[in-house]
Amino acid sequence: MARRSPVRVIGGRLLQALPVILLATFIVFALLKLVPGDIAVTLAGDNATDARITEIRKVYGLDRPFLVQYGAWLANVVQGDLSQSLLTGEKVATSISRAFPNTLLIVIIALVLALVTGIPMGVIAAIKPNGWVDKTVSMVASLGVAIPGFWLAMILVAEISLKLNWLPATGAKSFSVSPIEAIRHALLPGIAIAAYGMAEVARQLRGSLLEVLSSQYVRTLHAKGLSMTRILWQHGLKNVSVNLFTIISLLVNRMLAATVVIEAVFAIPGLGSLIVRGAIQRDFPIVQGVVFTMVIVVILVNLIADLLCAAVDPRIEQ
Amino acid sequence: MAQTTRREVMALISGALAGVTLGGEAFAQATPKRGGTLRISAPANPSSLDPATGGAGSDHAFLFTMYDTLTEWDFETLKPKPGLAESWSFSDPTTLVLNIRSGVSFHDGTPLDAEAVKFNLERNKSDPKSNIKADLAAMDSVAVTGPMQVTLKLNTPDAALPGILSDRAGMMVSPAALKASSAGNVTRTPVGAGAYVFVSWADGEKIVVKRHEKYWKPNRPYPDGIEFSIIPELTTGARSVTAGQNDLIYQLPPRQKAIVERVSSVKVFNGPTLYVFQIFLNWAKPPFDNLKVRQAFNFAVDRESFVKAALAGLAEPAYMNLPKAHWAYDKSVAALYPYDPDKARKLLAEAGFKEGSVIEIVGYNDQDSVQRQEILIEQFRKVGMNIKFLNAPIAEASAAFFGAEKRGSGILAAWTGRPDPSLTYSLMFTKDAYYNGGRAPVPTELDEAIKASRASEDVEVRRKAFSTVQRLVMENAFVLPLAFQFELVAMNKKVQGYRPNLLGKPKYDDVWLES
Repeated sequence: MARRSPVRVIGGRLLQALPVILLATFIVFALLKLVPGDIAVTLAGDNATDARITEIRKVYGLDRPFLVQYGAWLANVVQGDLSQSLLTGEKVATSISRAFPNTLLIVIIALVLALVTGIPMGVIAAIKPNGWVDKTVSMVASLGVAIPGFWLAMILVAEISLKLNWLPATGAKSFSVSPIEAIRHALLPGIAIAAYGMAEVARQLRGSLLEVLSSQYVRTLHAKGLSMTRILWQHGLKNVSVNLFTIISLLVNRMLAATVVIEAVFAIPGLGSLIVRGAIQRDFPIVQGVVFTMVIVVILVNLIADLLCAAVDPRIEQ
Repeated sequence: MAQTTRREVMALISGALAGVTLGGEAFAQATPKRGGTLRISAPANPSSLDPATGGAGSDHAFLFTMYDTLTEWDFETLKPKPGLAESWSFSDPTTLVLNIRSGVSFHDGTPLDAEAVKFNLERNKSDPKSNIKADLAAMDSVAVTGPMQVTLKLNTPDAALPGILSDRAGMMVSPAALKASSAGNVTRTPVGAGAYVFVSWADGEKIVVKRHEKYWKPNRPYPDGIEFSIIPELTTGARSVTAGQNDLIYQLPPRQKAIVERVSSVKVFNGPTLYVFQIFLNWAKPPFDNLKVRQAFNFAVDRESFVKAALAGLAEPAYMNLPKAHWAYDKSVAALYPYDPDKARKLLAEAGFKEGSVIEIVGYNDQDSVQRQEILIEQFRKVGMNIKFLNAPIAEASAAFFGAEKRGSGILAAWTGRPDPSLTYSLMFTKDAYYNGGRAPVPTELDEAIKASRASEDVEVRRKAFSTVQRLVMENAFVLPLAFQFELVAMNKKVQGYRPNLLGKPKYDDVWLES
């Protein structure tokens, strides 16, 4: 079987993503319309009459059939316009481009932290399975999975920000203005999300590494007289890297979802807070815009992970 | 600065018998100083920064910094006083003449004259996107009767207008800015004549304003600017103040008071407001279509313990829709429903109410709301009423009760006050009002009384008219008022001159920062 060119592969994958984007935005749009509560009531103000609310629906085009409204939104998106908030009139693209870097920075910090702690833990545990190191790692990993991120976040704020005053308790700073300040603000939320990631990486890595190390070819390598270190780094980790990439892509998606809660705890104006505000106020262009962005990010992350997997493991047919 | 300690301050506040706090001036001994940026944690993104197209009560905290109003309210009693209009008078009951202060200009340099006022009032009255048409329903036309004078022709006597002009309807927007905008509004580009000039608004994140150098009030404002960080999670907002990232947070829930007070750099102010927790009743359907059940409902609640248990004591028990400090408060009406469980049982028996029958009340599903519900459930159980709360998020719950669905027989919610009480009553207790959930008719004499409350501008006459209105509302028991929530504001000790107000919507007129 001849291998297809990477360009065609990527192009094909992106084409496949189109129906996913359509379906996801349509379902979310439908959900927003199905749940009770109505932005017309918010738009009409505190002392509105029924007649005024009906009038508002007309003025803002909210009385049009459901499919027409979705179609109008989609038509705008195709022309590269995510439209604007019904309530405040801010361009959704503007809101997203301001919020996205804040969320991205937290996720990147969380991912880096999860990897630099999780990978050594997993490797050490796998080298001497069932030893005390392994047991400790297992315990820490179980804790990491079990502890809710928002709880850890509050404890971190109470101890590190309020008591020790080392890091800011709330808010975000722009990375382009001051990278150091931006990282200082994103560090605690990053740690709060990283705990789960660290545990997941350590556990998964330990499992797959154990499997590789107990396989026959590793016994052969031992017999050849290769040192444990070389076996581990040259053969072991290369073989588990496919698993690792998959774990990372799943983690990124999970971490993106976790920001919804974490951003509320730290008052970070990111994608999570944006979608919560949009959903509460039934400001559907905002919700649609964020969902659209998230879907694209998730698809891209999965695509990159797949490409990396294929690069390290020729057996994987794209 | 050798200042009174927080304990003394709190003693001062709780000692104010009328329930009105003395505000910042009583203990700010130093001379106000210019400079610095006031950093505020705000609980909600505004719905719009255009006074006419916005709708949320939480917008005022931003709007008041950028827009001055034709009249202003007195912080303690909410009586209207001169603002951009230096005086006003009713030449007859349907003609209101406003004399505009001279020498005032908008932030963009446009002069604020009679033409500008006429332009704004007409826009507020007739723009399709205006949410304040109803406020100006009594106004037929505006005429410029002098370079600095406008005359409002009314279709019915409306003594509430001066009060109404201290709210959204009286916020003056630069006509030049409105005309320049393609959408015909200044939702994102506000230009007013207020103490601060708009700088930027990042949705859900930050609003920045800076001092209006040509502001008409001498020496005001003191700070160079204000930065609002929008932090919907109030616990997080309070933390931003205790950690020193913000200087001030308003609308704190009572349970936060003890927590923020533990921090020595923070002081807490509180005072009564018009914000009243109440159960709106649907008197078009059972069981509240029966007057005796509604009255029993009012006798069954021990408001004093409700305030202690649900609101940490930081509230005034409510027996009518105005608190003690308000100019139109009536002691005798407030005495109509003392806590009297026996009376409640008796009324229920007379009404043929079957003991233990379930009454469905709509509620909100947040932590504080549920706590309030639990206390009420217990109190009603004691008189044989079995309350079941149908909980949902705020938007859903209110739409379900006040809108077309007519879910439940009542809703445990709140009423934010209006600068003139006649609005409060006409928005809740007239037949077609949105906040009359059942859209059920009210007695003609109540309609008449509400009209009468707007007929005269004489405060004594109006006070009597409101007594009648409020007496009719409470004798008919159209509502179950529970408690007026105190305004709770926590701030860094370097913030000086803050004064709570009865409306409960913060104004920062005299605030300055110690360096």
